[in-house]
Order: sequence, then C-alpha cells, then structure tokens
Amino acid sequence: MTKEYKKRIDYKILISSAVIAFLIFGSGVYMGFMFSKERLSVMDADLQKITKDVQNFQLNFLFFDILGANATCPLLESTISNINNEAYDLGSKLTGYASGEDIRDYSNYQEMKNDYARTLVSYWLLAEKMKGSCNLGKSTILYMFSDECPECDNQGFVLTYLKDKYKENVLIFAVDGQLDEPALKTLKNFYNITSYPSLVIDGKLYDEFVSKDMLEETVCGIIEC
Amino acid sequence: MWMIVNYVIWYLFVFIGIVWIMVMLMNKDVPPKKIKGSALPSVSVIIPAFNEESTIAKTIKSVLSLDYPRKLLDIIIVNDCSTDKTGKVADSFRKTGLIRIVHNERNRGKGYSLNRGISMSKGELIVCMDADSTVNKDALKMMVPHFEDRYMGAVTPALKVLNKKSSLESVQHIEYIFNVFFRKMLAFLDAIHVTPGAFSVYRKSVLKKIGGFDEDNLTEDMDIALSIHNAGYKIENELGAVSYTVCPDNWMTLFKQRVRWYRGAIHNSIKHSYLLFNKRYGNLGMFYMPFNVMSIFAIVFIFSSILYNVVFYASDFIFKLSLVNWDIEVMMSKLSLSAIPDLVFHSITTTTFLLMMGLGLGIGMLLISFRFVGEMDSGRKINYFFYLLIYPFAIMLFWTAALLFNIFRVKKRW
Repeated sequence: MTKEYKKRIDYKILISSAVIAFLIFGSGVYMGFMFSKERLSVMDADLQKITKDVQNFQLNFLFFDILGANATCPLLESTISNINNEAYDLGSKLTGYASGEDIRDYSNYQEMKNDYARTLVSYWLLAEKMKGSCNLGKSTILYMFSDECPECDNQGFVLTYLKDKYKENVLIFAVDGQLDEPALKTLKNFYNITSYPSLVIDGKLYDEFVSKDMLEETVCGIIEC
Repeated sequence: MWMIVNYVIWYLFVFIGIVWIMVMLMNKDVPPKKIKGSALPSVSVIIPAFNEESTIAKTIKSVLSLDYPRKLLDIIIVNDCSTDKTGKVADSFRKTGLIRIVHNERNRGKGYSLNRGISMSKGELIVCMDADSTVNKDALKMMVPHFEDRYMGAVTPALKVLNKKSSLESVQHIEYIFNVFFRKMLAFLDAIHVTPGAFSVYRKSVLKKIGGFDEDNLTEDMDIALSIHNAGYKIENELGAVSYTVCPDNWMTLFKQRVRWYRGAIHNSIKHSYLLFNKRYGNLGMFYMPFNVMSIFAIVFIFSSILYNVVFYASDFIFKLSLVNWDIEVMMSKLSLSAIPDLVFHSITTTTFLLMMGLGLGIGMLLISFRFVGEMDSGRKINYFFYLLIYPFAIMLFWTAALLFNIFRVKKRW
C-alpha cells in the first residue's frame, strides 16, 4: 500500500443542513411563540369581558339604594354566578398558561394577572356586600395561593371539585396572593393572611389546606346540600 | 436549564433529518458502479453457527445458490460447539464437496469462530454470513466490483427482515428498510459504522492488517467497521445486494437483542473514541460518531424525563383523586364535546409545535426512505403508526437499559 487516501469532510452538506435545521426549528419555536401570544390575547379578551361584567354588576348595585332589594336582587343574582363561572375558568387557564409554556410574553402575562386579581377582588367585595343586602343563598370562598406553595396545587384541585359539584351555589375567587396589588394588600392585612394556601370562607379565615370534607361541611352550613 | 437541553436535542434531531435529505439529494444522480468484466476474485464465505439448527440449512442453501463461479467460491462453516443439531445439519452438506466444516471444541463466541474461518480460508475476499440469514442469488456479483477500488475495505448489503407476519415483526421490517436507506446515506458520506453479520464482504488483507475480529466484543460487526476506517480504508454499501435476517418475534427476545447491540455500541464508541472530532476520519470522525455518542445521551435523557413526568403526573393525579374521595363522576360532569376545542386551544404550547414538526419530519423521512429503497407496499398502515409513535419508546427503553447495564457492569451474555 503506497499512500492512504484522504477521507473527506462534507462541510457544505453539514453546514447547510445546520442552517436549514435552524430555520425549520426556529420557525417551529416562532410559531409556538406566536400561538402562545394568541392564547394570551384570547384570555385577555375574556378578561376584558369579565371586567366589564363586573363593572355592570357594580352599576346595577347602585340601583339598590333607589329601587330597593325587591327590584334589584333578582337582577343581581342572575348575573353573579354567571360571572363567577367565567372568572374561575379564566383563573385556571391563566395558571395553566404559566406551567405549560416555556417561552412566553412575560410582561403582558404579569399585567394580565394583576388586572385579573383586581377585577376579582372588586367582584368578591360586591358579592360579600350582596350577601348582606340580598340574603344571597350562596357560599363565597376567597382563595389566596402562591406559585411556590406545595399544598396550593392540591387545594386548587379540591376547590375545582367543589365548584363542579355545587356549581353556582359556591362562588370561588382564586387570587395569586403574591401579586403586588394595593387592593390585595388591604385584604391580606384585614384578614391577617401571611401564609398560603389561605381561604376566607363566608368571612372566616382558614390559613392552611382545607380538606374536601371540611369544605363541604362549612359550605353546607349556608347552602342546601 | 432543562428546557435548553430539550431544545438542543430537538434541534439536533431536526439537523440529522435534514442531513440525510441533503445527502440523498446531492447523491441521487450518481450512476451505479459499472461491472468491468475483469477477473473475479476468489471469495470465502464463513458461516459461524451456534445453536441454529432450524435456520442453518436455509442459510447454506442460499449461499450454495449464489451466482458466482464455483471454483472461486469457498464455504466454511464454523460450528461453535452447538448443543443442538446444528453440527449434524451442517455435516449433511459435506457431500456437496464445496463446504468445509469445523467444530470448535468449546463455545468460543462469534469473533473467534470468524477468525478461525478466516485463518483457513483461501479467498481474497471474506464474506461473513450469520447462520440465521439468507442472501439473494445476485448479491455477491453486485458487491465484488466495488473492490476494484484499492481502498475498499468492506461492502455491506441491503439488510431486510425475513419474517414480517406479526405486528412487532412488521415494525422491525419498517425499521430495517429505514436503515437500508440510512446506511446508503452513510456510505455516501464514507461513514458506515457497522458491517452487519448478514453477508458483509471484507478484503482479507485488510482484516489481516487489523488483526481480525475482536473475540471479546458484544458487537464485533461495529468494532470491525470502525477498525477498517482506522486502518485507512473505506466501506461501501450496495443497495442491489439484498440479504435477509430473522428478527425477534417477541418483546423479550427483542429486548435481549437490542440491549446486546446497544451495549456493544456504547462499548465500541468508547473503544474507538480516538475517532471523535478527528479530521483524519472525515465525516465519520467529525460528524457521525460524535453525533452518535451525543444521541445516546439525548435518548437516555429524553426517556428519563418522559418517565419521570409520567410517573410524577400520574402519582400526583392519583393523590389528588384521593383528596376528593375518588369522586370521579363529578370531575367528569363538566367534560363535554363542546368543551374540547377550548381545552385543546389552551393546551397547545411551543412543545406541541415541535412535536408536530418532529412527527412531520419522521413521516417525511419514512416516505423518502421507502421510495428510495423501492419498497412502497409494506403491509398494514397501522404498523407505520406503531413504528412512529410507540416503537421509539421501546428503543429508548433499550438504550437506557443498555447504558445502565454498562455502567453497573452487568455480566455480558451473548
């Protein structure tokens, strides 16, 4: 054997493949990113609608002083549970979005979460007020969670179950307690909420995980089970 | 952090898919080698056999019916101390006068048997033929002309499966066809890293130069191929030469076979690690072997993360159900047909797009390879689905098992 032949390296093929793969892969990631934005904007539209509904609700409440309970309460009652279903749905979508998406539009998302929390707090306040004035036969649960708390995932699951079981008779308001919102802070100070999960069920604070049986017991003191 | 690893792996798999397509497009118009009617070389076919009584007769018959001048053909059967009737079946072919049969006094493994066959062979070229495989009549005649290139160390055939009745066998058939395509692409890159035991042809002088087969190697067919490259020779693939092998017909045998292969692959990647990022070995050293090693880690990583997620989410869900006293009925009540589009819409993430892309690329590659090999009708369509969506998990499991066995040094078994 005289001389070894030289094995070649097909740089042309390898580099052009790397570039094409990058374009294909990049477009996949880009499409995913665009879709995720689309999801966010759909959720944003939902949020706008709920916010508007809550504002309307607030407006209707103002009629109370003029028209009295008999005329206003049926009107309010029909809308309150409807809004709650939508709001609860949106809440779980918002939390689901954070856990499912690698690449997301953080600034918009954060802003939306704050808007949502604000809407929800004012909605909860209205519901509490209505309970006093309209003799509302519904149970209200304000649920404060945080991203890091290990029990919150389970608490959320149990609350969703409760919502599915008692439907419009239970109104759940799930808020991320760690958001930087003045209204939230006032609420937290008032109920002395320092840990998560914390639940305010019909005005009473529970500052730990509440089991399904315990929840049902509490709730069934107010609504018919 | 894990997300970045995930994305890098995704990118690498897209990259490799594109490389195969590019290689094919660049080479599809290369005309096949013309057979110059020059003097044919003498060929020795070595059939190492260990407990193959049910298949060896078929193997011998197919070798005997090769379209090649009888006086240039030399057939040697090495019975590796079989405990069944393999020896007897082989001996019954003695009367043809073309076959020499030797019996190892104790079980020594395939590498030793091949070396013993080589040491008594007369041919310039050596064919290694597994005793469970068969070969088409015209295969040898199509492969031999490649050796007119003085740097040709070995030529591999297109390897297909003999049995494709059951679903598992059909899936392996698809896998083998895919590999036929794949091996041809590797040949274009001069980066074939395995010369399969079913009818690969070697130049004897090259085998002698590298000291024959490794006698203590789980996959001596990978070791020998890498050694041939190391000695400065090339390996070609001849698509027209078709050999058939029996594939495992049940999961347990498949598991054993693949763990042996993949353990061997890991062992040989380490043994031949001098190839990695070494320009001297061209595409093999700079691209294919590094990719191969990386894909082992990628496969094990993906498999473990899938396994972790499945176990984690399943146990988490079961625990949550226990929190609501297993009242599944209530949880199901909100599920309705009209809720599905919304549910789907809100579960689509970037990963979904990447998955779809991967699946698209997989289907594309499969179609391209089947067209390239010219094997378009291959049984029921459901098997393709099985191959693309379920079989990869089995392969990933085998790789993970192989890596773990190697790490914990579980005793090797042939």
